[in-house]
Amino acid sequence: MGARPPLLIPLDGTAPGDERIVGGKAAKLARLAGAGFAVPPGFVLTTRAYRMFLDEARLTAVIRMELGRKPMDEMRWEEIWDTALRIRSEFLARPLPGELRNAIAGNLHRFGEGAPLAVRSSAVGEDAAGRSFAGLHESIIGARGQSAVEDAVRLVWASLWSDAALLYRRELGLDPQRSRMAVLVQAMVDGDRSGVAFARDPRDHGRDLAIIESVPGPCRLLVDGTVDPDRWEIDRSRRTVVAWLPGERDDGTGGEPLLDPEELEAILDTLLSVEALFDWAPDMEWTGRSGSLTVLQARPITATAPEQTDKRDWYLTLRPNDARLAKLRERVAGQLIPQLEREAAALAAEDLDPLDDRRLAEAIDRRRQAVAHWKKIYWDEFIPFAHGVRRLATYYNDAVQPQDPYEFVGLLRDQPLLAARRNRAIADLAGQVRAANDLGQALEQLLNEHGGPLHWKEIRDALSGRSAEAAAFADGFDDLNERYLDITYDRERLRDRPEALLRTIVELAKRPERMGGDRADAISAADLEQRLLDAVGPQRFDEAREIIETGRVSWKLRDDDNLLVSRLESQLLRVVGLGAERLRRSGRLSGEGRVTADHLSLIVEGLREPSAEPVVIAREAEAPEGGAAALSPGEKPRQLIGQPASPGVASGIVRCVRGRADLGAFRQGEILVCDAIQPTMTHLVPLAGAIVERRGGMLIHGAIIARELGIPCVNGVRQAADILGNGDLVTVDGHLGIVTVGEPEFKLELEDR
Amino acid sequence: MSNVDEPVFDSQRPAGDEGAGSRRSVRERIQRLAERQPYAVLCVQGDGQPYGALVAFAFTPDLRHAVFTTPTATRKYSMLTRSGRVALLIDNRPDRVGAFMDTEAVTITGTAHHVEGGEAFQRWAELLLGRHPYLKSFVHADSSALFRVDAVRFLHVMRFQEVSQWVPDPRS
Repeated sequence: MGARPPLLIPLDGTAPGDERIVGGKAAKLARLAGAGFAVPPGFVLTTRAYRMFLDEARLTAVIRMELGRKPMDEMRWEEIWDTALRIRSEFLARPLPGELRNAIAGNLHRFGEGAPLAVRSSAVGEDAAGRSFAGLHESIIGARGQSAVEDAVRLVWASLWSDAALLYRRELGLDPQRSRMAVLVQAMVDGDRSGVAFARDPRDHGRDLAIIESVPGPCRLLVDGTVDPDRWEIDRSRRTVVAWLPGERDDGTGGEPLLDPEELEAILDTLLSVEALFDWAPDMEWTGRSGSLTVLQARPITATAPEQTDKRDWYLTLRPNDARLAKLRERVAGQLIPQLEREAAALAAEDLDPLDDRRLAEAIDRRRQAVAHWKKIYWDEFIPFAHGVRRLATYYNDAVQPQDPYEFVGLLRDQPLLAARRNRAIADLAGQVRAANDLGQALEQLLNEHGGPLHWKEIRDALSGRSAEAAAFADGFDDLNERYLDITYDRERLRDRPEALLRTIVELAKRPERMGGDRADAISAADLEQRLLDAVGPQRFDEAREIIETGRVSWKLRDDDNLLVSRLESQLLRVVGLGAERLRRSGRLSGEGRVTADHLSLIVEGLREPSAEPVVIAREAEAPEGGAAALSPGEKPRQLIGQPASPGVASGIVRCVRGRADLGAFRQGEILVCDAIQPTMTHLVPLAGAIVERRGGMLIHGAIIARELGIPCVNGVRQAADILGNGDLVTVDGHLGIVTVGEPEFKLELEDR
Repeated sequence: MSNVDEPVFDSQRPAGDEGAGSRRSVRERIQRLAERQPYAVLCVQGDGQPYGALVAFAFTPDLRHAVFTTPTATRKYSMLTRSGRVALLIDNRPDRVGAFMDTEAVTITGTAHHVEGGEAFQRWAELLLGRHPYLKSFVHADSSALFRVDAVRFLHVMRFQEVSQWVPDPRS
């Protein structure tokens, strides 16, 4: 048995074979330094330091607990992100072992008092050839002094359990018991030119080309995509520039090449020497020019990513970066959302009746294209921008280190969300019903008399002339429909089915108003903002305010964009419905099924070709009732687990909301069970005794609204709406994330079997 | 299912995409636990006092019956003669802290019946000894009593708090 490995090794004191304790990145840098290359000086906290921290802070059990709550394969990325955030908070909250703190303190002096340092991950096997996992783990730059370095070290360790790392946990072989991570602490060397160089073209290793990219300023500007680099392709044998592609920059450095031939030559020399040293073609980060060229990192070039069939790769591209978020904010909030609003409004205003059949078919096509176009934008830009909220979360938690990792959510309170405005309008109408004694009864009577689907016009006629209050209510409902209900739910336009919402309003009127923002224990958004500003200090006020604002806009639009795309879908349905009606009138469409966007092509064809086969739309099969349908014979859930998304405990009868008919059937105090609370149905939340959702996450619509209203919520419950059935008695424990089904009883044991 | 799940649009809502088939059923989990664990905690009661003891057990393949033996001079025997209502706890708990998320347990409720002599005794003793052959003299001792438990309900726990109930069909 050898001696225990040290906690800390100076970079230049690293011996061959130390990779298993200093990680790949540090081992390669140490080897470069040993071979005479200029490398920023520094030291490595070995994997033993990580294990010592984990053991002293007893974090292995915490990680196991977090990862074991639910099969990871069944976690959505939002739940994985939540898991990573909670682990990160636990890492941040634990002090470093004294021995380790002393070791760091004893080595910081070598950098000079208060010098900015780079604290980087050096995971074991991280840079191995083959699949590249670069960017899964964190690097912190500009840490000054003992305390900042300790914080940075904790963050880098925690990034072993980052959301991205957890997504690739299998490929990385992540296991709490065996996990290891070394951390590299280095002086920051920032030349006025930096970049990345590849000894081979990463897209085609067979070509005899080296690639050099350069930006003005530090290398991180290139790596995180903030600055577009100049790019050179260099013939390796002839050592000549084959191509130069200038970067697109508006800082005055465009036009002329950033590097002159001599500087390019120096980089190429270094690159080829590194290749000779390691005997593999490197991807090298560098800074400085000619004589002062410093190697920041070298690793084998990895093959280009395979076909992007795996959404995880797409997810990796979403990692928040302030520059990208700022650009997205400008584009999404400044251009795309207003454009989407205008487009939806224009479609709503279009008079379709005068169009002949051919033109109507064209209108369907145009709307279909519009929906497809915006869905693509949704994936490409809206979802990435949604990470603004997550950036705010980590920024707030790093600075404030709150006990509750979701304290930052208070900063998002009272944003003028579309859904919030709609819910406010619904609550106001419920208030009108509540104030006028007989209005609620009258509405209920009308709804019960009609039973099934009913046109608002019939109710409006019945209400008109009844009383001034009834007339005002009717006007208000018209306005609500017009403004907010041109959306779809369960493949149907909500404004075509007003009875569901009317029933909800009648239900809401039966109880005192429950609106958000009145929780006694809630800290105001202004106080939280102050808390953050106090924590970051005056020098970072602007940065903090910018991140808060981006987070807020991101959160607001995350909700609004759903509703706006739904408005387009509603407009598509409008014209499809009209086309179907025409075909039906001319005897070319039959059947009692409801017309949805699924029938779009048939209807377009029917409109275009009068001789086309008649369209038959059969009635859909009834959706299964759920309730133990997904279980084996004799099996019944007793306790389901999910994420504790909003604290509190409530018992009640389950009402599963699976389709449009369920929206109107929801009664006060029932437990709302559904696949996912969508922005189109958040108005039900104030009625619910508690919420159980299949879709998990602390930052999804249902969870946030539930927390605001103080309604217990457990989400991320596997197959929630399949396992639970209407009428089941459940107890929802939003503190622990548990849903208990039924009473504790021994009837079976006591009966005579 | 994919970890990245963004079906927010109305027309793209997926239904039942959670691959339930890939998971073991509760019954299979119980069976596995009952087959892998040789010992269970037997819970009995009497005079308002609960009591627990470790027993070596065996289950029938249909999981409807279990069998164990106890000396007659014991507290548990005395309590069993007064009330046959019992519970059995079978679990795979680890002996180190922190690994309990991987622990599974099943609590079985039912009624214990003393099996005395004859063909029935031979059959049930054989089941128990098939699993625990080293208990041969213990099972056949005059001072031992063999009990058959008719299982009514199984409560299976995994991941610390995920609880499912399984009730064998009494007609099968």
